[in-house]
Amino acid sequence: MIHLPFFILLLLVNPMGSDTCPEDYYSIDLVPTRRVPEARQAEGVAKLTFIPSPFGVALDSNGRYIYAITLQVDRLGPVDGHKYTAWLSTPDLKHTVRLGALSGDGQVAGTVSWNKFLVILTLEPAGAASGRWTGPVVMRGLSRSGFMHTMAGHGPFQQEPCMVYGYD
Amino acid sequence: MKSLPLLVVCSILVPGAFSQHEHHRMSPTSVDSVVWRMPPMEMSMPMLPGLEDAFPPTPPSLPLSKGEIPYATPGKIIHLADGDTLSLSATTLRRRIADQEVIMYGYNGQYPGPLLNVRQGATITVMFQNALPEPTTVHWHGLRLENQFDGTPGMTQPPIASTERFVYELRFPDSGLYWYHPHLREDLQQDLGLYGNMLVTADSDASLSLVNHEEILLLDDILIDENGLIPYGKDAPTHALMGRFGNVMLTNGVTDYTFGIDQGSVVRFYLTNVANARSFNVSFGGLPIKVLASDLSRYEQQAWAKSLVISPAERYIIDVLFPEPGPVVITNTIQAIDHFRGEFYPHIDTLAVALVRDAVVSEDHRQSFAQLQTNAEVASDLDLFREHFDRPVDKSLTLSLRVQNLPLPIMLSMEIDTLYVPPVEWNDAMPMMNWLSTGTQVEWILRETESGLENMDIQWAFHVGDVVKVRIFNDPHSFHPMQHPIHFHGQRFLVLELDGVPNQHLVWKDTATVPVGSTVDFLVDMSNPGTWMAHCHIAEHLQSGMMLGFSVKDRDSSR
Repeated sequence: MIHLPFFILLLLVNPMGSDTCPEDYYSIDLVPTRRVPEARQAEGVAKLTFIPSPFGVALDSNGRYIYAITLQVDRLGPVDGHKYTAWLSTPDLKHTVRLGALSGDGQVAGTVSWNKFLVILTLEPAGAASGRWTGPVVMRGLSRSGFMHTMAGHGPFQQEPCMVYGYD
Repeated sequence: MKSLPLLVVCSILVPGAFSQHEHHRMSPTSVDSVVWRMPPMEMSMPMLPGLEDAFPPTPPSLPLSKGEIPYATPGKIIHLADGDTLSLSATTLRRRIADQEVIMYGYNGQYPGPLLNVRQGATITVMFQNALPEPTTVHWHGLRLENQFDGTPGMTQPPIASTERFVYELRFPDSGLYWYHPHLREDLQQDLGLYGNMLVTADSDASLSLVNHEEILLLDDILIDENGLIPYGKDAPTHALMGRFGNVMLTNGVTDYTFGIDQGSVVRFYLTNVANARSFNVSFGGLPIKVLASDLSRYEQQAWAKSLVISPAERYIIDVLFPEPGPVVITNTIQAIDHFRGEFYPHIDTLAVALVRDAVVSEDHRQSFAQLQTNAEVASDLDLFREHFDRPVDKSLTLSLRVQNLPLPIMLSMEIDTLYVPPVEWNDAMPMMNWLSTGTQVEWILRETESGLENMDIQWAFHVGDVVKVRIFNDPHSFHPMQHPIHFHGQRFLVLELDGVPNQHLVWKDTATVPVGSTVDFLVDMSNPGTWMAHCHIAEHLQSGMMLGFSVKDRDSSR
């Protein structure tokens, strides 16, 4: 029996045809949702570098990487009375922080130290200040660490349901 | 399309049920009464199908308990003046670790080897005797010493055979913290306890703020189970993929290192990572860390940190203030990875405990501790090199690896795992696969970008006074990417940039890590003539080929 998720996984693993630069390994591609007409052609990426540290690799005291994150988003059309705003969130959406509104040249920067995280771009009413977005999601992306494959319930060695291991 | 055959093979391989690691059949093959035992691994980690009967394809090896073997004693401090001679021997000895009596190696019967305390500018002679049952050499890590005493077998000296002697002459041009260790089968000899520090003091140390107490911390780990040490590969290292991570932490050679200080003490710590493969993230109970110095110098500007990241072979000198009474646990605090579940999980190891007494320290150094200093001496030294910071790249390397004849389940699962590879592997996330990989199957590679030459086929030629920018890129798309702590013998370097971001924390180094996917620019001060080596300091990676050669010649001679 061929496991469909595994087949998809293999296609992802196969680098043939990929034009990803190795230097961009940890970069996060932002994918449009097409919910905002002015942003349907948008292209964006979030770049990660370590924040300055005497030790090169920057960790917090819990051992999480501390990254400087910089978003560059292009081909966004203006929407009157609104601002494109970037957010960071844990994958379960329990913790969210506002990275900030995109500048005129489509950039915003900050830091992040979650193991896995989402990058989300929304369209917010100008002047809105909130701990969580209220407008439509324009683009989103997942940290490379989010692609870590679980063999507990998927893939070539799938033996038992994920539930056995507490994951679903 | 290469995915389809892989898919078919994977589908065939899917068996009926996962086996836990204790179901590895471990049918022993006796070689000199040493047998393979599978390394302990977390009980939740399943045995990969098809590996239940697998052993590394090399005979197992351990020091044997033949004849009278003395118990090791704790490391001592030896103060050496200019012109002094030290007798140093490498011997087999007996130790107790984690309730196991084990046969290991040591220098002068001690764990760790004696701390050599010398003054900057001194020269000493070391009469070394190899009392091990195998050849060895001693590498004086970080010293810009005379080339013939560098301890690199096959390059600066032949291996020192069992019972043979070798005379080293050591000079100490730079103050700071250094260490010595074998440069032959480091994966085995160093792991068995052959390491010690050298602390080089200088008049300029007086400019550092005063402290109440000093502690040397040599950080190590060791792989051990209820039957003792897990054997090493006899003909080639095991754990060639990730390096041999231990499951028991050792600080200064023991599992329960403690020290007592008075309340309000400022303690200066001298840390060295002597582990084969493990990088540590050291925390002092959440207390702020003042970072003073690294391998070959002080920082141009001192800095605060919340934890200290130290890769194999690196050294750091730091100050920590202990303001409150009570125990402070010094920990290795990491986010480990469970590849089976595709998850990070917090993991904490205790490295040492500071027992802070109720008594208040007699001399209060808190005020000076709170101040960060700029080091004018280092800054003026760096001024001589700043014109080179923006120079074009002189040499360019890519870090990669080749594998052959690894068991098929390992090949398959590793290709899947590489959907995400962390910048640094903090734990042995794949102990079964790692153990089974040996230096005969794995070749770690330093590849020169321009020429395509690899490892020891690379023989760079420089002259004394050359300042060389070396760009090293750690390819994340190789079969098994991993961080590599790169060590240049006999010279010093600055880390100029990490992924295009200029380094704000300049310090002279001899070892620095290139994380996965990263590009690091090194500015190497080719100051010391001779024929040298640069290599990854994960012992198993070095033993699996990850090294290159370079020569530095005097401009006015053929030397």
